[in-house]
Amino acid sequence: MAEGTVSAFLGGPQQILVELRSVEAWRSGIKILGDVCLTVGAGEIYGLVGPNGAGKTTTLAVVVGLLAPSAGSARVFGLDPVRQAEAVRAQVGVMPERGGFYDWMTASQYLRFFAGLYGSECPPMEISERLAQVGLSSHRDLPIETFSHGMRQRLGLARALIGNPELLVLDEPTSGLDPRGRREIHELLLTLSHKCRIGVLMSTHILDDAERLCDRIGIIASGVTVAEGAVPELANMGRDLEAPDQARGDRYRLRLGDREVERASQRLPTGVSLLHREVDWCTVAVAAEYSPEVVWRELMFLGWPIREIQRLDTSSVKSGLERLYLELTKDTEQQQAA
Amino acid sequence: MDEKMPGAISMVRRRCGRSVPYPPRGLTGALTIASKEGSELLMNQRGLLWLLVTCLVLSAFALLLVSDTELGLLDNAQVVYDMVGLVISLGALLTLVVGADAIGGEQDRGSLVPLLLAPLPRSALLLGKLGGQLVAWTAMLIIALPYLWAVGSTGQNLAAGIACLILLGTPIVLMFGCLGLALGAKFLSARSALTVGLVVLILAASPAMLGPGLRQTAIGVAVDWVNPFSAILNAVDAVVIDSEPALTQTTPFAVAFAWLLLALWYARRTVSRLTGSPQ
Amino acid sequence: MSVVSIAAAFLLAAGLSGGSASAAAAEPLKIELIPSPSNPSAPRIGDALMFRSVIRNDGQKAISGVIAWVSLLEVDPGKEHPVDLEDWSAQKAVVLAQIASGQTAETKWHLRLIQSGKYWISVVAASTADAVDRISGPVASPSVAFTVASKPVVETGRVLPIASGVPLAIGALLLWRGARGRRRRPTPKDAGG
Repeated sequence: MAEGTVSAFLGGPQQILVELRSVEAWRSGIKILGDVCLTVGAGEIYGLVGPNGAGKTTTLAVVVGLLAPSAGSARVFGLDPVRQAEAVRAQVGVMPERGGFYDWMTASQYLRFFAGLYGSECPPMEISERLAQVGLSSHRDLPIETFSHGMRQRLGLARALIGNPELLVLDEPTSGLDPRGRREIHELLLTLSHKCRIGVLMSTHILDDAERLCDRIGIIASGVTVAEGAVPELANMGRDLEAPDQARGDRYRLRLGDREVERASQRLPTGVSLLHREVDWCTVAVAAEYSPEVVWRELMFLGWPIREIQRLDTSSVKSGLERLYLELTKDTEQQQAA
Repeated sequence: MDEKMPGAISMVRRRCGRSVPYPPRGLTGALTIASKEGSELLMNQRGLLWLLVTCLVLSAFALLLVSDTELGLLDNAQVVYDMVGLVISLGALLTLVVGADAIGGEQDRGSLVPLLLAPLPRSALLLGKLGGQLVAWTAMLIIALPYLWAVGSTGQNLAAGIACLILLGTPIVLMFGCLGLALGAKFLSARSALTVGLVVLILAASPAMLGPGLRQTAIGVAVDWVNPFSAILNAVDAVVIDSEPALTQTTPFAVAFAWLLLALWYARRTVSRLTGSPQ
Repeated sequence: MSVVSIAAAFLLAAGLSGGSASAAAAEPLKIELIPSPSNPSAPRIGDALMFRSVIRNDGQKAISGVIAWVSLLEVDPGKEHPVDLEDWSAQKAVVLAQIASGQTAETKWHLRLIQSGKYWISVVAASTADAVDRISGPVASPSVAFTVASKPVVETGRVLPIASGVPLAIGALLLWRGARGRRRRPTPKDAGG
């Protein structure tokens, strides 16, 4: 595990379904994963979060045996996912982020096809059950080409459930869903995990989903696991990173000139705390007793070339987990911005 | 407990009140995939369109024979020979397109990864895709039979011509199908696979258009021996036009079969390395 | 009669006898061409004919290196020409190592009738005589005449229904699939995610 990585473990014995230790992986001559570690137990939901390009999808590819690690070890159900791929895949249901379908088929035909590949004993019964689980019973005989994005996501989840897998590997499962759809998927995953003891390894960039669903979270940045642990523990760590009292108050996002943030941030008036810096933007907190308009005039007097001001909704920002995420992944985002 | 399952997890377990079976053997999975591929061709509009195009080409050729007085005087055997060659060429083109789409096209549409993640050996995936091509070729043969009967039934060697079409045409057609699959797996793109595949098809077919003088040169003879199209067409010529026994055409069949094995080996190699993304 | 005139007459006689000797060398070969009794009486395009040639050596000595071939001539008025046997026969020539004096050699010739018209067929033979640079022959058999009747190679009554019916059937299937797909599409109130 990389230096500075935080890790916390669930108490008590638990069947480990997935275990990655210091996994390194390459793609097209580029090192995508440098040091990834995670464990997923039976009946738990593990969230893999990270910015775009952090290596989430590649990590999932290693877990399902599509990519062999060049270093470290990967074990799924105690098996090598590459060398014993068939045995592993028989137990794993996968929902890729970019899942294509056979548009000429109906939903039931599609699931019947995969039921045949997974050796389902009673395809008609299982198909009906899966469609009901994901809320597509009324659309079973419609061609997939007529499905909306949300319906396709659900169908992909139904396909992942074919064959009663022990482990679900889901890449951005709620991507593109409306709030109701997301809620339904959440409830389904919670049921599968807690009642049927299915392990769920899901990648997501929606921290709300991770906080709501996951028992444990791994934060990955630039191909390295930078934090891993139970959600409450990671959230506490994030709150500990909070700036002193001056950081409380209304938060604003300011757009300055190109690469002016570094220079400007050295001159801060009283009542203003710098929370986060990017290339052209910075996030500041203005103490409650100061009027924002006064603050802006003071900043401009100090030479801040403010081009735009956005007020951030304080109710949606800066949970402990989000703060930890932002802190641990800021270098990656700055590299991408550069 | 299922004794066959290696590893740490028992395959027979009860969760949520249901037992879980062992995944199917490769052959069952291959048959499932072949059935899907065949249905996609025969029941899907895109596939039917391809068969319609084939019909129209054969109809145009047949009508040409009827409408053109000079061509109408061609010997039946020559007509049968021409049509057999045409069907084999169309079949090779169709399986090349089907093969390129079977993996390259699925990758473009995003449906390849779920297939790769099914608990099937890659060889079963390849076998299933080849099965789909066999369905396509069989459909073409069924469509071609009435045309052959219409243009060749008044002459001789029609049965021999049909036998040549099936026995000699099938290895060539499947060879190009394997090539399409292999290129699709290598490039992970139907367009790239088809571009390269069409170039190979044209290069392979072009020696057959050489005149008799050029084909009798040393290079021409060598090309005739190793080129699959030339070998097959020469065999059809010998059987259908020169009335030689079909059993004497073992050498052209061996050449065609050798090319099929080579293409199959290449397809197996590229499909076994599939990961769903460029390596 | 002077000596010169006698000598000239002798030389002339020798020359004449030399020519006669040449003729005598070719003459030992006699060829007979017999059509097979199983040949159709009114052959048509596509039929096959079989002829049997009998080459007899009537000379005193054996004749070696006899080459025999088929010669086909089209004799339709205005279209008289020798026919290229490329597609008519797979047998281009037959080589007979030696025919002993008084012996015969038989050869069967198969002919496929490619084109209609009136034809004369004969078998021709030549042989390499004792000297390498002297070739005897050719000697031809009497011609056998036959007429090939025309036949429609492609019967319109069969082609037209197939050429139009099969595409129509596939096209109808295509349309049916399309209509079925449209029927299965949901109405706007059914659609949604």
